[in-house]
Amino acid sequence: MKIYAIHVVRNDIKPAKTIVDVKDLASFGFFQRSSIGEFMTFMSQTIAEKTQPGQRQSIEEANYVGHVYARAEGVAGVVITDKEYPPRVAFSLLNKILDEFTTRFPNNQLWTPEQCSYPELQQYIVTYQDPKQGDTIMKVQRELDETKIILHKTIESVLERGEKMESLVERSDVLSTQSKMFYKTAKKQNSCCVIC
Amino acid sequence: MDRSSEFFSTVESLRSRAQPHLPSDKRRLLSPMEQQAGSMGGAQQSKPKSEVSLMAIMIGKDIQATSVKLQKLARLAKRKTLFDDRPVEISELMHIIKLDIAKLNKQIAQLQNMVKEINAKSPHNCRQAMEHNTNVVVLLQSRLAAQTSTFKDVLELRTENMKATKDRREQFMFTTQQQSNTFASDSPLYNIDRRPTSSTNPPKDILSLDLPTPSQNLQQQEQVQLVDANNQYMESRSTAIESIESTLHELGGIFQQLAQMVSEQRDMVQRIDANTDDIESNVAGAQTELLKYYSYVSSNRWLMVKVFAVLISSAVTLSVLS
Repeated sequence: MKIYAIHVVRNDIKPAKTIVDVKDLASFGFFQRSSIGEFMTFMSQTIAEKTQPGQRQSIEEANYVGHVYARAEGVAGVVITDKEYPPRVAFSLLNKILDEFTTRFPNNQLWTPEQCSYPELQQYIVTYQDPKQGDTIMKVQRELDETKIILHKTIESVLERGEKMESLVERSDVLSTQSKMFYKTAKKQNSCCVIC
Repeated sequence: MDRSSEFFSTVESLRSRAQPHLPSDKRRLLSPMEQQAGSMGGAQQSKPKSEVSLMAIMIGKDIQATSVKLQKLARLAKRKTLFDDRPVEISELMHIIKLDIAKLNKQIAQLQNMVKEINAKSPHNCRQAMEHNTNVVVLLQSRLAAQTSTFKDVLELRTENMKATKDRREQFMFTTQQQSNTFASDSPLYNIDRRPTSSTNPPKDILSLDLPTPSQNLQQQEQVQLVDANNQYMESRSTAIESIESTLHELGGIFQQLAQMVSEQRDMVQRIDANTDDIESNVAGAQTELLKYYSYVSSNRWLMVKVFAVLISSAVTLSVLS
């Protein structure tokens, strides 16, 4: 599952304009990359135009899926992925990006590609290529699962410890009786007559 | 007089006209209709199956299939397990049944129009045929109305069960933040439930009951699709967080088990400890005894020499005496 592109588009004007975008088209052939990139920009602008503010949509097209989330301020974020990428992770990524973007550039006069620089997008697209790494919820889930596995192993080793403990108890019991006999014999030897 | 040959020929003709999987009342409806068709001799209805009866047969079959699906959905909705619920299946089935009922409605409306046209074309002669056709249409509509009412009951039951399971889940997991999500996730069901129940309250006529419901169903479907995209995201988030919660819960249980096992083993450790203490004291006591014996023996040598000397002297004297 891969992310192909992340776009931040302003959709309060028609036609919608891309403000910032970042693409990861390494999986396509070298000569197809530019045309695919243009296609993705066009697709993201189209679906950002069609989305009402405050609405989320997932649109399927050929073998890409575009997840779009439009905010009330007039910006929309579009994430273009393949079909297997979980939409929930895409939407949480969109939430995060749009929150940061609107806090950084609240003035909508600034929304031009020259004035808005958002270098963290490149980082995000890299980290979120593996949704289990990027998304917090999935990270937590994964760590919990690992902890559970470790705990299972711990319980198994505790069971083994119990068995060893049991054998130790038996052996110490036997030793105790033997030492008691030893003591009694020694005592008997002392008190009995010394004739033969 | 032997009329068995007549009987056989009648049976053969009926069998050639009857189709399999037909409900029994349709068969009864068909044969008097064919007799009337034979008496009328109209071009359109001289075929053994008229268009009306063909469509009615198809609609009857579809209604049968939908009722089977509805029974399956009712069985699924009745389950009251906490974690094994299959919401995807149930919602898919509900969607399919909604579409089926809408399609059936359209088909019955078409059939009704066809019947009206036929009745308008051949006005006076076959009043019985007209009445029969209208009766067939009314019968199909009443069956569809019964099915929609059962479907609504199943939906209500399903929402109640979902509420009950969410309550029970909250009791086990002590969370209150799911409550805001339950209203969002249940609202399509609630909306669909409330409107049909209000529409069936005045049951004036079976015909009027069916005609509002398809338009409402379509509206509800549109609304459901619009609200669905956002709801799906929220629902998927809430399911993910719920799974995290359940994992945490299990982890807590595992830790408790671990603590219990370790505390059981603490008793064994104490036993081992006591045993080793006993061993130590026993062995120490035995060692003391042996030391005493050893000292006794080593200090006793002088006495031993004296004892032996006495013995040997007595043995010597005895031998001397004898």
